[in-house]
Amino acid sequence: MSLNNQELFDKLAASIVDMDEDLTIELSNQVIAEGIDAYEAIVNGLTVGMNQAGKLFDEEEYFVPELLMCSDAMYSGLNILKPHIKINSHETRRKAVIGVIEGDTHDIGKNLVKIMLETGGYDIVDLGRDVSPATFVERAKAENAEFIFISTLMTTTMEGMNEVVEILVEEKIREDYKVLIGGGPVSQSYADKIGADGYAENAAEAVKLANNIVAAYGNEL
Amino acid sequence: MSLIQRNEELTSLERVVLTLQRKEVDRIPAIPLVCGASYRVTGSRYDKWSQDAEIATQSLLAAQELIGQDAFLLLVDLSVEAADFGQELIFPKFSTAYPDFNNQYIKTAGEYDKIKKIDPRETKRMKQVVDTVRGLSEAKGNEVAIFGFVYGPLGVLSQIRGHKELFVDLIKHPEEVLGAVDVITDVLIEYAVAQIEAGAHSIVIDPLYSSGTVLRNTTWEKFEGPYLKRLADAIRAAGSAVAIHNCGGGVYFEEVIKWSDPVAISVAHPAHGAKDWEEHAKTWGDKIITIGYSDPAETGLVFTADEVLEDVKRQLDLFKKHNAGFILSSGCEFPPNGNLLNAAAMVEASRRYGRWSIK
Repeated sequence: MSLNNQELFDKLAASIVDMDEDLTIELSNQVIAEGIDAYEAIVNGLTVGMNQAGKLFDEEEYFVPELLMCSDAMYSGLNILKPHIKINSHETRRKAVIGVIEGDTHDIGKNLVKIMLETGGYDIVDLGRDVSPATFVERAKAENAEFIFISTLMTTTMEGMNEVVEILVEEKIREDYKVLIGGGPVSQSYADKIGADGYAENAAEAVKLANNIVAAYGNEL
Repeated sequence: MSLIQRNEELTSLERVVLTLQRKEVDRIPAIPLVCGASYRVTGSRYDKWSQDAEIATQSLLAAQELIGQDAFLLLVDLSVEAADFGQELIFPKFSTAYPDFNNQYIKTAGEYDKIKKIDPRETKRMKQVVDTVRGLSEAKGNEVAIFGFVYGPLGVLSQIRGHKELFVDLIKHPEEVLGAVDVITDVLIEYAVAQIEAGAHSIVIDPLYSSGTVLRNTTWEKFEGPYLKRLADAIRAAGSAVAIHNCGGGVYFEEVIKWSDPVAISVAHPAHGAKDWEEHAKTWGDKIITIGYSDPAETGLVFTADEVLEDVKRQLDLFKKHNAGFILSSGCEFPPNGNLLNAAAMVEASRRYGRWSIK
């Protein structure tokens, strides 16, 4: 990596932290115009910036509005850079589906988890909100995902998380997926009760949890 | 005449009022926040319960008869006010109503001036809540405390604009947001007063974003603090007590008290800056009555009745140890699909372990 490239990546990262979406777009276009590797710009620029924003969020320097604006900037950069990624520059990335369970449309938490997982190196298929348990399973199979992340903010919809696990058991594919759950009313004891593989309190913890599972199971996933 | 409840020394209303005044009581009040769950007691449906004052009134009365909680809370859902301002809602048969987030009433930052003053005594959903308060007051207003409910102006706006969009607008379009919050506050004042006139003993305001997990304290103060004060002052001027509910993590107690001076704060998590409930009780116990703090999902969906008794005993013992102001409750609404026997177990736990008064 040349010094000039590193300077550009640093500026990209700073534009994310500064929530300066216009600058992120300008710098991403510069990456392409100068023939710099798009994947390196994502990893060493956008991802670094988003990780810094996440750290500031953990330290209560940034709050939800700031994090949302950082993520808007990051996705604007990603939209420009992603089409230019060379296939062979991909590292092996773990694949996951993520969504808000049926009956619930609160998706800010889910979106934050998605962003942090993506910046943590995971390939995320976002199923959106109000997703039926059957759809979680169908899409996990279709995408060859290893993880299923399910979120809800409502007690009335928590039971849908249990249904995802039940469908996996019924179809005898429970061992093929790690089911991780989160959201306001959800707890570790609820995860234990329904037989999920883990619970995370927030986006940063979700990434740590997934990383721990990868470290523990490796290629068995 | 009650077919189920036992006679106790004080009525529920007396118990709640005396506790809020830090006077001697027979036991700590117990108020699991059984709201939507009450539809199951009368065999109704959630969507009917939340759109019909008579069904809501009869269901809340029946649930209180069964469970014995010391107060009614008029939390129907967080979209009551938003609907009357023009937001389309979705009413699931067996779950809480919510805005159609694919069809927000305010679609762009340029549309905040679509928020116009309305009369909550005439609109559909707020009037229904007022009518429900009146029905409860006529039936049990002399025995059981009635807490009206108003969602904070910023929360109402988030239901109309969309949560993510509003949070971004706080940074990009603050003046437009403040203009809408101002109009909404005027309407909420009338809504609170209407509930008081109908018989509410106290109004609970929910400034949901006064939470360290959502907004910086100064951001929350800028966008809701002065408006919360206007609302709280109007409630007191109408002769009622102000209480606060916020089930978010790390509620800014100092700032919320500064702007609303409530008699009590209902929470699910320790106050911002308190590392656990012990520190919370030590820090805030002599300054404010805490209403909490059973985990709703654990209590309603995971625990056995015995586990509820143990959990509540721990809470009561902790607050007693620090002589901290306390009303036992669920930290947020009791799950509408939760085990109602566990709500009753909370009240039973207060009878067994809550026989003390705040000094």
